[in-house]
Amino acid sequence: MSRPGPPFRSAWPYRALGAALLLALLGAWEWGARHSGLSALVLPAPSAIAASLWQGLRTGYFLPHARATLSALLLGLAGGGLAGLAIGIALAESPLLERVLRPYVVVSQVVPKLALAPLFVLWFGFGIPSTALITGLICFFPLMENTFTGLQQADAQRLQLFRMLGATRWQTLVRLKLPQALPAILAGLRMAVVLALVGAVVGEFIGASQGLGAVVIAAQGMMDTALMFAALVLIAAVGLLLYQATLWLERWLLRPYADRS
Amino acid sequence: MDAMAGAAQLAGDAFLDIDQAVFAYPGRAPVVDGVSWRIAAGEVHCLVGRSGCGKTTLLQLAAGLLRPQTGHVRMQGREVVAPGPQLGFMFQAPTLLEWRTALDNVLLPVSLQRRPQPADVARAQALLDQLGLGGHAQRHPRQLSGGQQSRVALARALVLEPALLLLDEPFAALDAITRAELQDDLLRTCRQRGTTVLFVTHDITEAVYLGDRIAVLQAGRVADDIRVDLPAPRTQAMRHDAPFNRLCARVRASLDGAGA
Repeated sequence: MSRPGPPFRSAWPYRALGAALLLALLGAWEWGARHSGLSALVLPAPSAIAASLWQGLRTGYFLPHARATLSALLLGLAGGGLAGLAIGIALAESPLLERVLRPYVVVSQVVPKLALAPLFVLWFGFGIPSTALITGLICFFPLMENTFTGLQQADAQRLQLFRMLGATRWQTLVRLKLPQALPAILAGLRMAVVLALVGAVVGEFIGASQGLGAVVIAAQGMMDTALMFAALVLIAAVGLLLYQATLWLERWLLRPYADRS
Repeated sequence: MDAMAGAAQLAGDAFLDIDQAVFAYPGRAPVVDGVSWRIAAGEVHCLVGRSGCGKTTLLQLAAGLLRPQTGHVRMQGREVVAPGPQLGFMFQAPTLLEWRTALDNVLLPVSLQRRPQPADVARAQALLDQLGLGGHAQRHPRQLSGGQQSRVALARALVLEPALLLLDEPFAALDAITRAELQDDLLRTCRQRGTTVLFVTHDITEAVYLGDRIAVLQAGRVADDIRVDLPAPRTQAMRHDAPFNRLCARVRASLDGAGA
C-alpha cells in the first residue's frame, strides 16, 4: 500500500481550511471574552481589538509609529547586514584576521545586545539611531556567520579550475566563492530579517518614544490592552510581509541554482 | 652516449616532455618516482593505473599545478612553470558554475582574461553546436543531464583552442553509452584541431579505445609502454574485434604486474 497522497491538488482548499480555523479561533475568543467575565484589561475581545486597530489606522495614529519602526529596522538590517557580509568575507579570506578578530566577534555576540540599549540611549539619545544600532548589532551575526561558512565551503576542484585559468584572488572571490555561498548568505539574511523585527521592537521598548514598540509600552501605561493587541497585530503583519519579501528575493536570486527540467 | 644523444633528439621532437620527474608530498614516499614520458604533437596518450598510483599527480605536474622536486616537465622545449591558456583541463566532475548558463560556462576561460568578443561567443557557440548542445546554450547546468554537463566542460576546456588537453578521468561517472558517445566526441574534436591529449583513466577499454599510446603507471613509475596500433578513426564496433581485446588483455596483464 502506498501512502495516501494529498487529498487536494491545488493550494486553495488548504488556505480555506486555514482561514476557517482562524475564524473559529477568533469566534471562540470573542465568545470567551464576552461570557467569561474576564476584564477587557486582561483579554479584550477581537472585535474591540479590530475596532482599536481600525481607528488607529483611520486617524493615522499608527502611521508615524510604523514608519519609525520600519526605518529603524531597515537601517539596522542594511547596516548590520552589510557589516556582517563584509566582516564574514574578511574573516574567510584572511586567516590572520580570522585568528585575531574571531574572539572579539564571539564576545560581541555573547553579550545580550538588548542589555546595551540603555547605554545606547545614553550615548545617542531616544529614537531611531539607538534602535537602529541595536537592530544592526542583532542582524550582524547571522550574516557574518553564514557568509563565513558559505565562503569556506568553496569546492576544491572549482578552486583549482580558477587557479588553472589564471583567475585573480578578486575574481575567485566575486565569480566563484560569493556566488557559491549565495544560498547560505540568503539563509542568513532570512534569519536576520526575523531577528531585526525583534531587535527594533524591543529596542523601542527601552529607547524610543516613537515606533510600534513604543506604542505597546504606551498602551501598557494607559491600560489600553486593545491598543496593545492592535500594535501587536501590526508588528506581526510587518514581520510576515518582510519574511515573505525575503523569500521572494531568495527564490528570484536562486532561480538558476534550482533544478528545473 | 648514443642513448643520451637519442633521448635529446627525441626530446626535441616531443610536444610534452616529462623527464625523470619526481614528486613527493612532504614527509611521504614519492607519488611520482622518476617518470619519463614524451608525447608528440597531435597524439593521444592514456595513463592507466590503479587508484593511488600517481596518475593524477603526474597530470598535475604536466599542467604546472605542481612542480617536480627533481627532473623536468617541458612543453615545446620550455619548462612548464604554471598553468596557462596553452592548456585545457577536464576534471573528474564537470565543475560547472551552476549560476551561469552553459554558454557563459564555456566562455569562463575567456571572461577571466578579458571581456568576451563576438568572435569568442561565436567560437563557444560553434563548440556547443559541434557537441550537440547548440540548443542548450542558454540553459543552466542543473537543467542538463550528466553527459551534457560533461560536454559543456569539454567545450570549456577547448574554447581557448589549447595545444594540450589534460583529462583526469572525466567520463568516470557517466553510463557506458554516454561515455562511448563522449569518447567519440573527444576524439573527433581533438583530431580535427590537432590537439595533443593526455588522458588519465582507470578504465582499460577506454584507454585502448582513445589512446595512440598507453602508459601503465605503477607505484609512481611507468611500468609499461604500449603502442596501440588500431586504425584511426576508431569506431565503437572495434571494441568487439580481436585486436582490441588483445590490447586490453595486454594492458590488464601489465596492471597485474606480469607485463613489466
